[in-house]
Amino acid sequence: MIAIVDYGVGNIKAFVNIYKSFNVPCVVASSKANLEGISKLILPGVGSFDHAMLSLQNSGMKEALDELVLEKEVPVLGICVGMQMLAKSSEEGARPGLGWIDGIVKGFNSSTIKGNPLPHMGWNSLDVAQDSYLFEGLDSVPRFYFLHSYYFDCNSSADVLATASYGDRFACVVNYKNIYGIQCHPEKSHHNGAKLLRNFGEL
Amino acid sequence: MNYMQYKMCANCVMDTTDSKISFDADGMCDHCQTYYRDIKPKWHDDEIGWKEIVKITEDIKKSGEGKDFDCIIGMSGGIDSSYLVYLAKEKLGLRPLVFHVDAGWNSQQAVNNIENIVDKLDLDLYTEVIDWEEMKDLQLAFFKSGVPHIDTPQDHAFFATMYKFALKHNVKYILTGGNYSTECIRNPLEWMYYQSDSTQIKDIHRIYGTKPIRNFPLTNILWHKFYLPYIRGIKLIRPLDYMPYHKEEATQFLVDHFGYQRYSQKHFESRFTKFYESYWLPKKFGFDTRKVQFSSLIVTGQMSREDALKKLEYPAYDEENIKHDFEYIANKLGVSVDELQSYMDAPNKTYRDYKNQMWIYEIGSKILRALGVEKGGKR
Amino acid sequence: MLYPRVIPCLLVHNKGLVKTVNFKNAKYVGDPINAVKIFNEKEADELMVLDIDATTDKREPNYRMIEHLAQECRMPLCYGGGIKNARQAKRVFSLGVEKIALSSAIVYKPELIAEIASEVGSQSVVAVLDVKRKLFGGYDVFIENGSKKAKINLEKFLVEMNAQGVGEIVINSIDKDGCMEGYDLDLIDKIKPLVKVPLTVLGGAGSYEDISTLVERYGIIGAAAGSLFVFKGKYRAVLISYPEPSIKTNLFKTVMEKS
Repeated sequence: MIAIVDYGVGNIKAFVNIYKSFNVPCVVASSKANLEGISKLILPGVGSFDHAMLSLQNSGMKEALDELVLEKEVPVLGICVGMQMLAKSSEEGARPGLGWIDGIVKGFNSSTIKGNPLPHMGWNSLDVAQDSYLFEGLDSVPRFYFLHSYYFDCNSSADVLATASYGDRFACVVNYKNIYGIQCHPEKSHHNGAKLLRNFGEL
Repeated sequence: MNYMQYKMCANCVMDTTDSKISFDADGMCDHCQTYYRDIKPKWHDDEIGWKEIVKITEDIKKSGEGKDFDCIIGMSGGIDSSYLVYLAKEKLGLRPLVFHVDAGWNSQQAVNNIENIVDKLDLDLYTEVIDWEEMKDLQLAFFKSGVPHIDTPQDHAFFATMYKFALKHNVKYILTGGNYSTECIRNPLEWMYYQSDSTQIKDIHRIYGTKPIRNFPLTNILWHKFYLPYIRGIKLIRPLDYMPYHKEEATQFLVDHFGYQRYSQKHFESRFTKFYESYWLPKKFGFDTRKVQFSSLIVTGQMSREDALKKLEYPAYDEENIKHDFEYIANKLGVSVDELQSYMDAPNKTYRDYKNQMWIYEIGSKILRALGVEKGGKR
Repeated sequence: MLYPRVIPCLLVHNKGLVKTVNFKNAKYVGDPINAVKIFNEKEADELMVLDIDATTDKREPNYRMIEHLAQECRMPLCYGGGIKNARQAKRVFSLGVEKIALSSAIVYKPELIAEIASEVGSQSVVAVLDVKRKLFGGYDVFIENGSKKAKINLEKFLVEMNAQGVGEIVINSIDKDGCMEGYDLDLIDKIKPLVKVPLTVLGGAGSYEDISTLVERYGIIGAAAGSLFVFKGKYRAVLISYPEPSIKTNLFKTVMEKS
């Protein structure tokens, strides 16, 4: 059973609708009890890093998630700020991240984005760096919707599954063992996004 | 509650779900008999037909001299009307105004197909948008009434709007994609009562409607079958009857030349009609319109009875998606899924349970058939 | 590389979709839910839905309609109309909307942007400015569906928007609205240097060429349009359209080759 972690941040409904349209069962987990018997997790996230981490802390689910992900090795997909939360910390805020993937979150700055505006907003192409079932059946140059001002700086390039380019190249899909993160919004990226989410459900 | 033993025609696939069906000694149903006896002998899609349509075309061109267009073609985005638009422009040399009625249920394919054909043929498009709040209210009224013909509001709006437009702009010729090739066998009246009967619409609206009808276009049978053609000289032409029309060939032609997107079944250019014909009618009443459509294709040699039987083994609706479609229909109509389900579960009614002008249709049909103006027809 | 965004903009009036010319003469265009569904099936980049009488009618946003629209969108949806505080904004977000647009509410209370942004993140807060050319040069900002002139200076206000942490600015030309004769390029020339966040322009697009002109001139920008995606031909027949992916890519060719 897929659980969409609802800690008060992110477009929960969009994920529910997508899995519903595939007739793939999923639940919305808003408390520790809802996480019993879960075999996959979606961790959405929008807004600021600190706000998201605080909300997760306040939801009472953080410890249960740590256990599910780090000990039981349940696959988890962090989305947008949900992906950034997988890191140790973020330049955007003061709170620590979940630390599930080795890296920190950095801000785009004017020199890297070469005069383009922030946030990075719009459709951008995803360049696959390593094969993964997540990318099965996507367009050869799949486009996804991005909306963010910070990016995940992985310590190990082995953890980078795909990159995108905004000024410079940055990691937009990361993976370490059972932990996945995607910077863009598959729930709002039409057929490529829906397929990626479906693939995650089938992992 | 069918006390009649189940039987299917030996020639087509119409069966006793049409409760008025009858069979001859060879097991051939009356639909087929009507086709072979009344329609086929008088239907000319050969040189005779071509000569006739060429003559009609000359009349149309003459009537349109000096005007921006010489006729209007009702286009839904479905295969018949789409192919007709192509024929009218490219084969008959007409200057049609493509007329589309938007009742709020256009599928993406319909919109795409209309755009492609209008663009590639460099034609002008006119759209009439039906007031959605009124259409919604009327459609809900029909759901609540329990009758099978709940697509009447859409069908009625299409015709009424076109006729009113023709009258207003003094257009003498309306071309439609109606044709014997795919429609020689018609939906039994019990399944789909006359959509032009405004008395029925008004009565159902009076009982179950919640909004007054202000903008919704209403016409009536006498006005458009008698007044318009015989008094105002506005004629309805069905060009597809005058030349060979093979559905699959026509579809493939449009796919190849116009980027046409196929539908999974006839009439599915409207999301509502798709839901209605593939799910609502069969589920609630046991009426499967595919039997009618396939039977037409069988008697005209476009489909084998075996193929039809094979297809009929599966439901017309997409089992994986029907829940979402049901929810979409409910959302769009502003009711809950449970409420829509309650209409499904309510007792079945017929057109006779509400006021109707059936007597006019019965008399009119007899007269027109005696005059040879109409062949076959609904029963 | 980041692609320019092509965004249909739908106006809702009395529960139905309408199109205006210079913000007047609303022509009925049909049911919002079906239009949104078609744009979704055509895989539009984003969608903007603006309720043009929520503010003037002094009522809450139509949450039920918003929820149904959001359900049909597999692309970002921006909703605007009648949002005056963070409570309403949060409720709209919870229905599955990505961005909320503020217009009349922020003109005299720009701090509302920072207030809402602090709760939901600034990237989700969009400022929509309806502007009209002044008689002797320059532009005025109008509120309440173009009915009242705001006593603010456009340029100063744009700078203020940046300071408040707005996520995106949409500039809407009342003069060009519904005319289908091209975007107001003078207006964009004037304000683009002042805008540090993503910019979207609305008002005047009449053809795909107008979009490619815009993109060629300004690079990464949002090209929003109403009439272009809703009307067809000389009779302004209502028909939903949206450029296919191959056509869109062609419109952006020169910009993409540069980057």
